[in-house]
Amino acid sequence: MSIRAFTNSVREGFQGILRHPLVTMASITTILLMLLLMSVFVVFSSNARYVMKNVGQQPPIEVYMQLEGTEEQRAGISAFLTADTEHVLYFEVASPEQNYIEFKTNLGSSSTILDNFDYNQYLPYTFQVQLVDPAYADEVVLHLEALPGVSKVMQERQVMLFLTQSTKWVNVGTATAFVVLFLISLFIISNMVRISVYSRATEITIMKYVGATNSYIRLPYIIEGAIVGLVSAICAWGITCLAYGRLYSMLMAKIDPGSFYALLPLSSLSKGILLICTFCGILIGAFGSGVSVRKYIKV
Amino acid sequence: MIRFDNVYKTYKTGTDALKGVSFKIEDGEFVFIIGQSGSGKSTIIKLMTREERPTEGKVYIDNYAISSMSRTLVPVLRRHVGMIFQDFRLIESKNIFENIAFAGEIVGMSRKKLIQTVDIVLSVVGLRNKASAFPKELSGGEQQRVAIARAMVNDPRLILADEPTGNLDPTTSEAIMALLEEINRNGTTVVICTHDSNLVDRMKKRVIEIAGGEIVRDARDSGYTCANNIPQEQCEEL
Repeated sequence: MSIRAFTNSVREGFQGILRHPLVTMASITTILLMLLLMSVFVVFSSNARYVMKNVGQQPPIEVYMQLEGTEEQRAGISAFLTADTEHVLYFEVASPEQNYIEFKTNLGSSSTILDNFDYNQYLPYTFQVQLVDPAYADEVVLHLEALPGVSKVMQERQVMLFLTQSTKWVNVGTATAFVVLFLISLFIISNMVRISVYSRATEITIMKYVGATNSYIRLPYIIEGAIVGLVSAICAWGITCLAYGRLYSMLMAKIDPGSFYALLPLSSLSKGILLICTFCGILIGAFGSGVSVRKYIKV
Repeated sequence: MIRFDNVYKTYKTGTDALKGVSFKIEDGEFVFIIGQSGSGKSTIIKLMTREERPTEGKVYIDNYAISSMSRTLVPVLRRHVGMIFQDFRLIESKNIFENIAFAGEIVGMSRKKLIQTVDIVLSVVGLRNKASAFPKELSGGEQQRVAIARAMVNDPRLILADEPTGNLDPTTSEAIMALLEEINRNGTTVVICTHDSNLVDRMKKRVIEIAGGEIVRDARDSGYTCANNIPQEQCEEL
């Protein structure tokens, strides 16, 4: 195809949008609704993953040293945790004294019963470990248990399992919803565009008779579909950002953004949503239009 | 040169449109294909533009078997064939200049050359002053002249017309035929499918008559029927 033929197709694509304003509006609305649904899913799944990641990084693993554990053994555990940056996000050592104070604090008004408690004899040194991903828990626990001076390693197994499973299901759910929504959008938009193409069936037939290639005929429709998809994507992105911004302000008004159940800020989501909406919108519009023309170019 | 070699065409519905049709049309000829509705005239046109493929036999244009050519080459073939239809088939949303120009745009003609060519073909068909009008603003005859101009824009060697005067009054039909005759005089082969007996009788060109999917007459300087003072021996010439 020559450059001139290509620029003609682009021009025709733009003209097509203006030629059938009602069909264009209907197409934009259809894609927009689909992209909004997709965006809601992206927002939900991103937040679900974010919260789970944060929850998983809370200290779910606690390492108890033997009471007679030496300073070298403690140093050995610290060195191991410091070196394992792949799995370990953060760790903290608590001395018997610190554990005693925390224990007393937890007891509240009844703490006086521990006033004469010899913590050095009964409370060990402990390590609180935060993991990068709760899925690494089993592996890290196995290594820690094998280290000298370690008495036992506690982990909230059920919580960890729930977090790992939930993250997996959210990911699978997001991917499935994405594919299903994408296919539904494609189906709807190809039917919408078919109306527009049908009204130009004669034009397409004439073009075929004068020697236009299939790609020459298809290109204006594909460009038209892509433009419709792009406009829908920008609208969907704008609406999603506006709605999420308000929701975030409402829900996070009294919540510390650093807490593990805080939502993702809009700035972390908006680029991703824009990318996904633009990609899907253009693809749905262009592909849906291209498929619709196929029936009429078999002359 | 167009050659049909023992061509059969059976549609998916089971209709036998052509049953062993063979003929040859030399370059620069003016030929009428006549016959009753459903006789197979339009199928012959469709086979020449590769809209349909023969069930059996071969169709050649310039010794090239178009019946077996690949789909990707069909647009190339059509750029060398000008098509004219009974219902004109103009694009309502484009003006006359654009309707004619887009046939040239498809082949990648430069803007400058396109403007010149459209101007020339519009002069030939006598519609130079209507370039900015839209099809709905023109009479049937004028619309058909636009269709002829569009068919001419890529300087085709062959013009195929399917009932070009079917929607026109006798006077306008005469003018359209005169125009096609003029184009033919400049060396373009013209093949016309028609029911218009008066025109066929008056023009006395080669006539190929189809009935029931078979050629029943192929005569030069003939009329719509053999009764119009045409020597019987010419009518029997196959």
